[in-house]
Amino acid sequence: MPDLFANYEHGRFYDEMFASPGVPRPHYQRLYERFNQLEGMGELLARQHTADQTFVNRGVTFTVYSDNRGTEKIFPFDLLPRIVPAHEWAHLERGLTQRMAALNHFLADIYGPQRILQEGIVPREMVETSKHFRREMVGFAMPRGLFVHINGTDLIRDEAGTYRVLEDNLRTPSGVSYVLEDRQVMKRVFPNLLRDYRVRPVETYPSDLLALLLHLAPDHVPEPTVVLLTPGVFNSAYFEHSFLARQMGIEIVEGSDLVVENDKVYMRRTGGLAPVHVIYRRIDDDFLDPTVFREDSLLGVPGLVNAYRKGNVALCNPIGTGVADDKAMYYYVPRMIKFYLGEDAILPNVETFLSSDEKDLTYILANLPKLVVKSVNEAGGYGMLVGPHSTQAQIEEFRAKIIDHPRNFVAQPTIGLSRCPAVCGESIEGRHIDLRPYILNGKTIKIMPGGLTRVALRRGSLVVNSSQGGGSKDTWVLSSDLTQPPYSVQTQEKIIV
Amino acid sequence: MLSRVANLIYWMARQLERAENTARIVDVNAQLVLDLQSRQAADDPRSWAPLVFVSGSEEQFHKLHGETVTERAVVEYMLFDRRNPSSIISCVSQARENARCIRDLISSEVWETLNTFFLKLNEDDYTRYAQTGSAEYLSGVKTQIQLFYGVAASMLPRGDAWWFFELGRHLERADNVSRIIDVKYYMLLPDVSVVGTSLDMVQWASVLRSCSGFEAFRRSRRGQLNLERVVDYLLRDELFPRSILFSVAEAEQALVHIAAAAPHSQENPASQLTVALRTELEQTDTTTVIADGLHEFLDGIQLKIEGIHAAVQSTFIDYPVAGAKVLA
Repeated sequence: MPDLFANYEHGRFYDEMFASPGVPRPHYQRLYERFNQLEGMGELLARQHTADQTFVNRGVTFTVYSDNRGTEKIFPFDLLPRIVPAHEWAHLERGLTQRMAALNHFLADIYGPQRILQEGIVPREMVETSKHFRREMVGFAMPRGLFVHINGTDLIRDEAGTYRVLEDNLRTPSGVSYVLEDRQVMKRVFPNLLRDYRVRPVETYPSDLLALLLHLAPDHVPEPTVVLLTPGVFNSAYFEHSFLARQMGIEIVEGSDLVVENDKVYMRRTGGLAPVHVIYRRIDDDFLDPTVFREDSLLGVPGLVNAYRKGNVALCNPIGTGVADDKAMYYYVPRMIKFYLGEDAILPNVETFLSSDEKDLTYILANLPKLVVKSVNEAGGYGMLVGPHSTQAQIEEFRAKIIDHPRNFVAQPTIGLSRCPAVCGESIEGRHIDLRPYILNGKTIKIMPGGLTRVALRRGSLVVNSSQGGGSKDTWVLSSDLTQPPYSVQTQEKIIV
Repeated sequence: MLSRVANLIYWMARQLERAENTARIVDVNAQLVLDLQSRQAADDPRSWAPLVFVSGSEEQFHKLHGETVTERAVVEYMLFDRRNPSSIISCVSQARENARCIRDLISSEVWETLNTFFLKLNEDDYTRYAQTGSAEYLSGVKTQIQLFYGVAASMLPRGDAWWFFELGRHLERADNVSRIIDVKYYMLLPDVSVVGTSLDMVQWASVLRSCSGFEAFRRSRRGQLNLERVVDYLLRDELFPRSILFSVAEAEQALVHIAAAAPHSQENPASQLTVALRTELEQTDTTTVIADGLHEFLDGIQLKIEGIHAAVQSTFIDYPVAGAKVLA
């Protein structure tokens, strides 16, 4: 049998699969053996084709509108799973739980007593100048004391293999539908391997999410109605919106479907107005209610914020969470953990420089070619400078922007993200990856085992966003640390992979 | 069902029915022109002008194409011109956009049938039409839409979605058939001496064929083709699925189902107007209608259908929030 990994280039990065060239890590040993029992690259490519076709048929697509025809593309999927051993996951789970708890404390505090500002742990100015700080919500008693419900925290591993937090996504993190679909496809393509590995299931996410949404409903409602609010079919994440609505068995609505009457929210049905109690909204604060936020928003619902303040409807995520995922605020999260929980952060941040800090600014401006500069309010890999991969002109353009608006930027050293083997054309090559677990904060903090592993499929690229040529991998969290789980098909002569 | 979603389905059905009937109207006219060849050139404005007139978009057509009405201009305008909101490409494109928004609801086969049709149509133009030949090309368009109906009928659950689909389709059909009858009426108008001649019969046969009603008419044993019998058949036949009476009765049934899901709206104005129109058609005497002016009568029907449409919108879709029924 040909060794599929014979020409695999190890590289100077942390490799998820290989401890050293040709030597797989214990939790990848099984996969390594099984893959080498395939009929070479030909069979692997045939399985990749099966997987791609499954995505097309299931309609797991996002829409590209650049060519005016609304072409639908699949989010590229890579067959080689990212495997997370049980002890590593236990560590991540502890760290993410701690972080979620601290972020909830922080939001409750800045929309409440503001202790952390009074004590000068976080500069007041930093909060008040944040684009996502919602003054309107100060003093508002959030239902169940929950100030944030869903966080998609982006994790990376540095050259030493240490997991670090790259950023939090506390507004409307997306991608969870791909996690669920990726797993469905892997079940078809590698059923036995998946079973032998004792991979923890991810399928309960929709029901966990629904339980969270129901938990948020106003007290007086015996049978609350939950809806998902989408910006509409033209949104690139529309597939996910309709997928989750279907999985949870709730109605997917647009702003124009909702009306507010006497501070109560209703959806317009053909037979009349049906009351709505919980809104899982997938649109940003800015667009929620034109009478309070952006007046020109056509996506929102006039009067919604008032109904929310009256406690007649719950919103998930709540209004105002964005202030805590501002990339400059990120810098302070370890201090928040210390301040509110009296603990050290289990999951470290990536070293970060604030251009609003004079000393840091000097450093940033002197080292731009080495740094990654991020705009604090942007997401999706936009508004970003990757120093080592940029031209002099691009660097100078950012230099000017940073000097003009120091509050709007942070800088981090360029981190060599860990790599994982991926099917690239006709061979298997190392590609950089990250990980976005989804953390639910309801009755308890609950984390789906795994998350979205994004992979930068362009050779050498460090940007994993789907808008920038990224794809995804299934993430296998193992239920125990057995390095040699029993073969399920041991008695057969040829093992079916 | 959400009002917006109901409206998307309703309009999807209307747009497709309109596209189909536009194909039928162009088809019947192309055939009529062939029959008239001995007396009139194909480019005689009198051959194609009636189409523009009955489509109700005369003004826009002349703005885009000037005063001269040519076959090519009319065909391009009615089939391929995106500036004409009722052209086949505009209708199919709109229907497809609507379908895209409700893919979950209509099953992937239904969506794919429409999407494939749209993608093909989107590549076509007058040259393709002329090369293929009008009858062949238009029959292809009709077949594609019929295919969509077939797939939809075998896939859609008989809930609100289906009834709004049926409602839209039949209201549009009733309106369109009245316009098809009008085309023939306008063809005749300049030359009353043709009435009762063999040419006249050829023309009425074409009108029936455009509604796929020629054989059905024959089987209905109504005897010779003439103005009165054909008009009566298309206007009032109780069994023929493209007659106006039949279409209005189907719309009425769809409204019964829709209202059943919302008992408080049983006495809704949309249903009342539909019942009124159905009763009127049942009691109409075709001979009198023709004597009093067929065109005016057809105009009246179109206005009443427009009234039903407005009532559907204000009862189920765009109703005022204040005073609306709050569901438990």
